[in-house]
Parts: sequence; C-alpha cells; structure tokens
Amino acid sequence: MRQTQDKYEAVQESKWVRIVLILFSVAFLGIFLVLPLGIVFEHAFSEGLRAYWRAITDPLTLSAVQLTLIASLSAVACNALFGIALAWLVTHFRFRGRQLLMTMMDIPLAVSPVVAGMVFVLLLGRYGWLGPWLEAWNVQVIFATPGIILCTVFVTVPFVARELIPMMEERGPQEEEAAFVLGASGWQTLRLVTLPAIKWALLYGLVLCNARAMGEFGAVSVVSGHIRGLTNTLPLHIEILYNEYEFAAAFAVSSLLALLALATLGIKRIIELRQQRTTEREDLGSV
Amino acid sequence: MTIELHEVLKKFGEQLVINLVSLSVQERELFVLLGSSGSGKSTILRVIAGLVRPDSGSVVLRGNDVTFVPPQKRGVGVVFQNYALFQHMTVAQNIEFGLKIRKMSAKQRKQRSDELLELVGLSGLAHRYPMQLSGGQSQRVALARAIAYEPSVLLLDEPFGALDVKIRGKLRRSLKALQKEVGITTVLVTHDQEEAFELADRIAVVERGRIVEVGTPHQLYHAPRTEFVANFVGGGNVLFGRCHEGKVRLGATYLPFPEDAPPHDEGAPVRVLFRPEWVAYGKEFDQAGGNGFLLGNGTLRDRLFGGAVERLRFELDSLRGSQSVGLSLEYGQRGTLVDGLASSLAADIPEIGEERVLSLNRCHILQPTSLRILAKVELGRDNHALLATAAHLGGVSHGLLSLLVTASTKEDLARNQELLESSKTEVLSVRRDIRLTVRPRVGPVVAETVLESQEGYFDVVLLSRPETSEQDEAALPEVARHVLVSARVPVIVVSNCGSALKRVLICTAGGEPGKSDVRLAARIARHTGAVARVFHVRRRDTTSFEMARVDRHLSRAQAVLTSFGVENDVLVVEGEPIVELKQQIEQGAWDLVVIGASLHSILGDPLKPSFDAQVLHATAAPVLIVPTPD
Repeated sequence: MRQTQDKYEAVQESKWVRIVLILFSVAFLGIFLVLPLGIVFEHAFSEGLRAYWRAITDPLTLSAVQLTLIASLSAVACNALFGIALAWLVTHFRFRGRQLLMTMMDIPLAVSPVVAGMVFVLLLGRYGWLGPWLEAWNVQVIFATPGIILCTVFVTVPFVARELIPMMEERGPQEEEAAFVLGASGWQTLRLVTLPAIKWALLYGLVLCNARAMGEFGAVSVVSGHIRGLTNTLPLHIEILYNEYEFAAAFAVSSLLALLALATLGIKRIIELRQQRTTEREDLGSV
Repeated sequence: MTIELHEVLKKFGEQLVINLVSLSVQERELFVLLGSSGSGKSTILRVIAGLVRPDSGSVVLRGNDVTFVPPQKRGVGVVFQNYALFQHMTVAQNIEFGLKIRKMSAKQRKQRSDELLELVGLSGLAHRYPMQLSGGQSQRVALARAIAYEPSVLLLDEPFGALDVKIRGKLRRSLKALQKEVGITTVLVTHDQEEAFELADRIAVVERGRIVEVGTPHQLYHAPRTEFVANFVGGGNVLFGRCHEGKVRLGATYLPFPEDAPPHDEGAPVRVLFRPEWVAYGKEFDQAGGNGFLLGNGTLRDRLFGGAVERLRFELDSLRGSQSVGLSLEYGQRGTLVDGLASSLAADIPEIGEERVLSLNRCHILQPTSLRILAKVELGRDNHALLATAAHLGGVSHGLLSLLVTASTKEDLARNQELLESSKTEVLSVRRDIRLTVRPRVGPVVAETVLESQEGYFDVVLLSRPETSEQDEAALPEVARHVLVSARVPVIVVSNCGSALKRVLICTAGGEPGKSDVRLAARIARHTGAVARVFHVRRRDTTSFEMARVDRHLSRAQAVLTSFGVENDVLVVEGEPIVELKQQIEQGAWDLVVIGASLHSILGDPLKPSFDAQVLHATAAPVLIVPTPD
C-alpha cells in the first residue's frame, strides 16, 4: 500500500495539513463515538456489578433479548434469500421497470422507520385494509411478534442486495456461462460457482443487516404495542427503563446492545480482512 | 461435417446481429471467424455454444440438430475472451469442474488434470488460484478446462486478445500444435488478420452479421472475391477501372484480364486488386520486371521504414480517372496513389520525389457481384418510390447505394440538407444494413449527374420519371438521355410506385437481345429473386435466315439467365413491336421492364418518337435502359 501511495506524490497534501486532518478526525470520533460509548458503560456499572447483573438477568430483559434475536435472525434469513434473488434479477436481466425496482429497493433507507411502522398498522391493524381478513383467520400481526419481524425485515431490505449488486455487476455472467458450457445445471451453477464467488459480499451484507435489525427502534416501536415480556425488543425495553428513571438498568441493557454492536463490528472487520486478502492475491497475480 | 449453421438469424432488439449466416466446418479443421469488433462474429460463436438462441435457422453438431439444445447438453468446449476462470477455485479445480459435473471419480479427475496441465505446459501450478496466474497462464488453464471432458468441438473467443504481442506469437504456435495433436474441430474468433492467417485452415470473413467470404488464408490474400476482403485482409491497392474491349482500362493504362478473372460486361466497372509486393519498379520499363503489366510512371510520395520492409507510396498520373478505393489523395494532388513494398536491404529504393516506371507481377480482378447504385434525389418532389426501389435493390444485392443531390448554389444545397437527411432515414427504414453514401453536388443538374455516374463507377443510375405535365412523349427524359449517351451507364427510370422487382420483362422488341442488357437484368433478377421473360416481337416480313439468328440470340439470353440462377422463359410474338409490347406489359403485371438502347436509337430522329420513350410511356413500372454498342 505504501508504495502505491508514494506513486501519487503530486496529490499528497503537505505534512501539516495531514496532521491537522488526523487530529480533527480523532477528536471528532472521540467526542461523538468513543465518549458516549464510555459513558454507557460507566453508567451501566454506576450501581455496582450486582445491580448490572440483576438488570441483565431480569426476565423482562431476557425476553426482550430473545425477541430481538428472533426478529434479527428472521430479517437476516429473509433478506439473504430476497437479496440474492433481487441481485440476480437486476444483474442478469434487462427488463422494463428495472431502474424503478432498484430505486424502490432503497425506499426503506429513505422513509422514516416510524412512517413504515404506521403503514403496517394501517394495512394490517384491526381497522386496517387487511385487518378484518386477518382477524377472520385468527392471525394477529400488529402488536405481536409477526409485526415486529415484518417491520425489521422491511427496514433491512436494501442491505444485502446493495452489497451484492455492484459485486455481481462487476463479475458479469461469464463464470456462470462457463459453468453452463461445462455442463453444470442452473442449481449446480448457483451452488458451485455463484455462491462461493459472492460469499464474502453476502456475509458482509448480512452482518450489516443484522446490526440494523438489532438496533431498529422507530418502526418496531409503532407496531409492538410495548407489552412487556411479550412484544418488547431491546431498544424498546431500554426506552421504558429510561422513562421509569431506572438509569442504571437502562444503561446496563444498553451496554448489552452496545456489546452486540461491537461484536458485529468485529465480524465485519474479519470479513473485510478476508476480502482484502482475496484482492491482494489478485494484485500478486498481475505482477 | 462437424459444425453446420443453416441460415441463422439473430436480432438484439431492433438490431440485426447475425444476418442469415450459413457455414460448415470440417472434421479436425481449425476454422477462424475474422471480423472487426461489432461484426457479430462472437455472437455466431455463442450461437454454436448454445449461449445465444437464434431467432431462426438451425445449428447442427455432428449430424444432430442442436438448435434447441441447452449449452449443458451440447458437449462443446469454450474458451471465453476473458477466460472466465472460476476465481475461487484452484487451477486443478477449474480443470476438473466439467469432470466433476460428469461424476468422474476424484482419482480419475486428478489424473486427467495432471495430464492436461502437462499438455499445456503448466505442471506444478495445479494449486494456484487464477488471480496468481499471468494472462498467458490463465489462457492455457482455460484451454485445458475446455478440453478436459473431450468435447467434440472447441470454440475460442479472441483467446489472445488480452495478451502481450510477444506471448501471443508463442501461444499461437502452441495452440495450433495442440489443436493438431488433440485433433479437435475448432472455431476461433479474432479481429487480428495476422493471427487468422497463422492459425486457420480456413477463414470466414464476417462483416455486419454476414459472412462475406470463406476460403483458405492463401485464397483470401491472393484471390479474394470481394472488395471488403481485399481491403480487410492485408494491405492492398484496389483500383476501379472499366471493362473496355476485353481489357481493363485504368485511366490511360490498359491491363489484360488475367485468365482466372470473372467475366465482365463491356463498360462494366472492374475492380483490380494488387498487393504492395506485386508492384515492381525500375528506371526503365524493361528494368521494372513484372509480367508485362505496365502501370505507368509514378513519383514516390512517401516512404516508411518498417523493419524488414520499406513501404513506398507512389503517385501515378497515368491512372487519372480511375478511382482508388482505399487511398485518397491530399488536397492539391491529382493522380492515383499506389502502395508498393521493398526489402529494406534493397539498393534501388528511390528517394521521395524521384520517378520510376511501375509494373505489376500479377493482378487480381474482384467479382463484379455487388451492385453500385446511384440514386438521384430530386428537390421539391416526392422521392418515395425512387428511394424505396434503390434501398431494396441495394439491400438485396449487398451493394453500395449513393444518394446524389444537386443544387445550383451552395446556399441552395445547405437549405436542402434536410432533404438529404430525410432521404437517408427513409432508405435506412427500408434496409438497415445497407451501405449508404451521400453525394451533394453543386452545379447544373445534367452535368453533375453525368459526371457522378461516370466517376463513381456505378452499375446503374436511378432517376425519377419527370412529372406528367413536363413529360416529353417523343424522347427520354433529358438527364437519362445524357447519362446513357455521355456516361454510358445504365439507367432505371422509376415512376410513382416503388417495387420489389419480382417480375422482369426483357424486351428485345426492337432487335435481338444484347449481351449487356441481359447480363444486368440477370444480375438484378438474381438478387431480387425475380422470374424473367425474354420477349421478342418479330415483324411479319422476317426472313427465315434472320429468324434463325434471332432464335440463337434468344437461347443464349436464356442460357445467361439460367447461369445466374434466374427462372426464365421466352415469348416470341409476331406484329408491330411497340403495339405488341404495350399489350404484353398490360397483361403481365411486370415490375421491371428492361430494354437495350443503342446510341442511335436514343438520339434518334428528331421528328419520330424514339422507341425507348414509347416503352417508357407504355408502363408505370420502372424501366431499365441499358446502353448497347451500335
């Protein structure tokens, strides 16, 4: 890397500019990221380890953890399937409405999650369009786990597809064509050629998807109904604790969420390293 | 026959990518599809592989029709342009992929991949990943992978495209050796003619979705049939001359027709090819060597050092009036440019500006197949029928169509730019694949049309019939008359209705059929797929001696039509020529009426209406008038 940078000497900034930029970035990250995280842990342990442990092992907290995991794992599973299908569709076929589809895919990023939650309530709630029909079948979506899963899936839709599309576009269909010619069926090609090739991009997309799913607040907040021990996810649980002035407990649970986020970041970093190693192999090959 | 394509047609949306391509590749042959980028050659390859399904036509591999068989079941090996190696698999896994799909045991697979790696000279690289390979190594892995399961056919798409020049030469040789060793029928796609020459048993030259010519490298270089191949394969001089009394007239020079030259009609355009190394030069004619084909005096204009050879460019005055196809003159130069070649060790290379006598060791005459058509677009009237007929004729004959617009001043011409553009659009809406040029000219209509007809070496000039009000019943339209008499180029006068030219009536009412009118009619009829009738009107007082002569001529005319593959018959009636002809035209629904016209009959008697003009009045169909010698 060092060498490549030296090659572009003309566009390198002077030493002082570099130092100022580095200091600025470090200060910014410190104030807005590291400091708050530190405060979360500081507050979490403010009433001692025992209080922390009690807050975390509280049945209501555990049920919130359980629900959060269910919701995020469902989101990851759904979006893995949907993301691969969507990316395959837009990269392998040219059809009318393709651009529209790619734009629509980004709607969850653009729309406020609260609005998304409201839409689901209006659509599936008791007085919504499909509400009476669902009730007739005795299915409850809103204010229950299915609604939470639905919302989580909705807000995380773009993550996998957005990772895969540029990657698959860059690869082109050549390897698949080669596999066809060599006698592989469509399914064999997907299993032996396509999936291994997009493996890291897919995992990266799934990790991002997971991170977003666990932290989701807005949409879930609207459809959950805040029934403790039943429809509370971790972020909602934290809000309730906070509103009830149980700061230490709130921060303790927050720290749990923060730890999950850090773990996700760790996995993301590992995947990035793996990806980098693959590309470095490429650099080696071209020398 | 290992690979056969029958009239394969493929469109991508509106664009015609493969235009009725038929070809057959022999067992164990290395067949090369040569063409510039975008010519459709790779798509042809993909049709054979099954990656593209043709809209119509069929693909036959080893006697089995595989048109609707998916690529998995065709058993072909393909080396893709960028090799398309599986990046996440090792070299060995790549090679074994096809075997694994075919459920071969791991042990056998390993044995086969080792064998192949040895064959392509990459033993020891089995565990590398594609990203760790150089371009040449990747190419060889792709090759090994393609032939691993012993397919019956190997297809290669620009296999050397991404490689350094040095490695290319080496790999070419090893590919050819490997192909002969394995004995696999191979189709290779390339845009590089040097590569095609070195590798191919036979080459098919592809242009705009069509196969222009197929032949051995030797044939295509020394004796191409078409101008496209003459220019595309190797450097060459292609000059336009005219056939004149059994010789080729190039400006002031006459060349004899070589023995193998295709037959040309008197006055027809002749395209002469000579490669730079066929040009000999010397201070005197007898020193120039050559086989007595004297070209004339040339002045050296340019010389380029090219390593082994020096490229010389001469300007010849004696060829003035014969048009060079490839090389165009700079402003201020008047002659014709001819490229020559000399060994860079030769002692007698002239300096720039020096004069030499040029002669030819050999020359080659191209086939007179494709029609060169000039269509005169009229200002301020409906050109619809003219353009439709011209586009149809140019399209079916794969010929060249030039649109001529004349205006009296430059300003007028600029104002009529729109007319030119709309005419172009109209032609292209009829035939998308036509070769079209536009010739705007400033000057008097008649003079410019005659000049263009003469200088452009056209086979036929299309003119619109004048509006009824201004039509002179006694004589041919003025422009037509002048083109026929001064330029001696055949004319088609088109009326208000366009036509597909499916029924051709060759009238010999005036006298016996000439050679040139029947030949041109036969060429047109062959391209449009028309049926033809040779029609003769006999006067009541004809002697039996004359009758026998006419019969002989008629059967010769029929023989010519048959040799062009045109379905034909002969009808002889007795009576007054123009009356009988009128009746025949009314009855027969003919699309094209052909008459031969001698100089005498065109200029004619000012007091008597000319026969040609009467024919023109007798029909609304297009009339082809061919000037015949008196």
